[in-house]
Amino acid sequence: MKIAVLSGKGGTGKTTVATNMAFNFKGAVLVDADVEEPNSHIFIKPKATGEKSVYKNFPVVDMDRCNLCGDCGRFCKYNAILPAKNKVLVFKEICHDCGGCEIVCKRNAISYEKREIGKIHSGKGLGGINFIYGDLNVGEVSGVKIISELREIVSNDEVVIIDSPPGTSCASVESVEGVDYAIVVSEPTPFGVSDMKMVVEMLENMKIPFGVVVNKAGLGNDEIYDYCLGKNIEILENIPFSEEIAKLYAVGEMMCLENSKYSHYFENIIGKIIKTVK
Amino acid sequence: MDINEIVVISGKGGTGKTTLVASLVPFLENPVIADCDVDAPDLNILFGETIQESKDFVGLKRAVINEDLCTKCGLCRQKCKFNAISEDIKVNFSKCEGCSVCEYVCPVGAIEMKDCVVGQVFNSETEYGPMVHARLIPGEETSGKLVSEVRKSAKALAEKTEKETIIIDGSPGIACNVIASITGVKKTVIVIEPTFSGLHDLEKVHRLVQNFSIDIMIVINKCDLSEDGLSAIENYCKEQDLEIALKIPFNKDIVKSISERKIPSIENMEFFEEIGFEKFVEWIKK
Amino acid sequence: MIIGICAKETGLNSPVADRFGRAEYYVLFDTETKEARTIENTAKNSASGAGGRAVRILDENGVVVALAPELGPKAMDAIKAFEIRAYSYGKSKTVKEALENYEAGKLKEFKTNSTESHHGLRRV
Repeated sequence: MKIAVLSGKGGTGKTTVATNMAFNFKGAVLVDADVEEPNSHIFIKPKATGEKSVYKNFPVVDMDRCNLCGDCGRFCKYNAILPAKNKVLVFKEICHDCGGCEIVCKRNAISYEKREIGKIHSGKGLGGINFIYGDLNVGEVSGVKIISELREIVSNDEVVIIDSPPGTSCASVESVEGVDYAIVVSEPTPFGVSDMKMVVEMLENMKIPFGVVVNKAGLGNDEIYDYCLGKNIEILENIPFSEEIAKLYAVGEMMCLENSKYSHYFENIIGKIIKTVK
Repeated sequence: MDINEIVVISGKGGTGKTTLVASLVPFLENPVIADCDVDAPDLNILFGETIQESKDFVGLKRAVINEDLCTKCGLCRQKCKFNAISEDIKVNFSKCEGCSVCEYVCPVGAIEMKDCVVGQVFNSETEYGPMVHARLIPGEETSGKLVSEVRKSAKALAEKTEKETIIIDGSPGIACNVIASITGVKKTVIVIEPTFSGLHDLEKVHRLVQNFSIDIMIVINKCDLSEDGLSAIENYCKEQDLEIALKIPFNKDIVKSISERKIPSIENMEFFEEIGFEKFVEWIKK
Repeated sequence: MIIGICAKETGLNSPVADRFGRAEYYVLFDTETKEARTIENTAKNSASGAGGRAVRILDENGVVVALAPELGPKAMDAIKAFEIRAYSYGKSKTVKEALENYEAGKLKEFKTNSTESHHGLRRV
């Protein structure tokens, strides 16, 4: 069973929910797919067991074969390869690795080399959680490839909880691909509701069953409840706003590790999801 | 005309970027407001805008297969590096990156690259001045293009109406949407929370911003959340020679204002005065 | 020879553009015939690599000298690879003024890229 944890905007409590759920779900693998700004490792504190690089290819031109015809430059939709007067310029960072230049080259002058765009780290963390996360190098255009590799790595695992990137960008879409259920974490403020609607739209388009966890409940208004009621969206749980919880988050502590009195929120969420998915 | 462009970014979302921008707006003279958070624009919620113009934004071209010509040979699927063509030879729009390899290899010319609308740009009028914002269609790639379009529209508006200030609600994250939010600005404000996660994100976004802006100021929101968190941030700022312009303690009334769709700095003037907001505004206006 | 100048509008009286790769137009001035024609910059809508593509467009139009506000790293690499000489038009306000300043030898040549990737402007 694969469960994704999403949010419309950042800062609503996605990582809080994902990490504490993993803590309460024996045997679950936790994946942090927010590769631009991974945060879960701060709470899970994994003992590093594995690290691997994620690569993207870029074209290399053999100038002995190349006749500067310019076909590759005219074909490339990203302007990543540019035949000039005496050589061919390659702008690696904007190459999407589509393979097109090699295909159009009539002189067989193009081959590919790889460069690192980020890393995947894995390890066992607090509470015995099996943890894996991706980290995109600063300045890189897209983390989709890393997320795709993360999904590949956990594809055979029994229970997987995925801390997804916030919002509805292509990185978020990639991270929820093929999941059995999605949890949308939101806060009961006008910003929270507004941003949540976009995630709801995305999940409906992808036909993924989902429910809502209202975090920092009590700090805001009832708009979110009206919205969920109107659309028949199940509210899995309300986690109340509390300074104690906020302080634990601030210093990188999982609330359930600190105090088991919080566990019931997450056990409840897990129970409801299992019921829905079965 | 030398326009004062200020951007507010945050690395990760939810730190209070939009709340801060909204709080600044009433104190700026004749601003143009640019909401560059195209994934989740929120300023329009507070400013109750009247949309005057909306424009479709074409992001990239995507492959469209003509079913009448397609022989289902599968060559396109074989050559597609993005797994964007399904087994039954249909294009998965959200995976297609517009490389046009499929169009090139199709033996019967059944594939054509067509313009795709990936979002909309809106020009509106608010109580405080004109605002430009955009919304990306869910699932689309957040490239810098749409953000650049918002920036461009805002600049054109400012020049046309002779406004001196553009205040930009930047994109969260560290990718090219953020870069597009900060190029050419005069001042960059980074809003963060005093948490270990916040410090981690500050490091990343600071690294990114360093090359683009000399004038950087840090604002710590909910500063009384954690003493340890606060010290961690303060130490980093000291090491990196970053100035902390404002420390805002957590205040439930601010959330209340937002919930009531009111501007926090106007509803809670005393609180904002106490934290030294006036001095911060002076720096922004300089 | 043909000089290419980045412009916001068309013609010699057009204000100069703020950016190289994403300029709206390029005004092409032929120093022999003294005639100018304007072409639209089709690179400006590229998702990426606008600078490099813009250089190719200039080269295709026979430009050997370019007058620009700034050059990012890709544009600089392309300028060198296409053997075009590029000069900063500095404080010139219009295309005409930039040309006059060039002819008077007042413009500085770009030897390395003047700005970082994505045209971050270092303010000193």
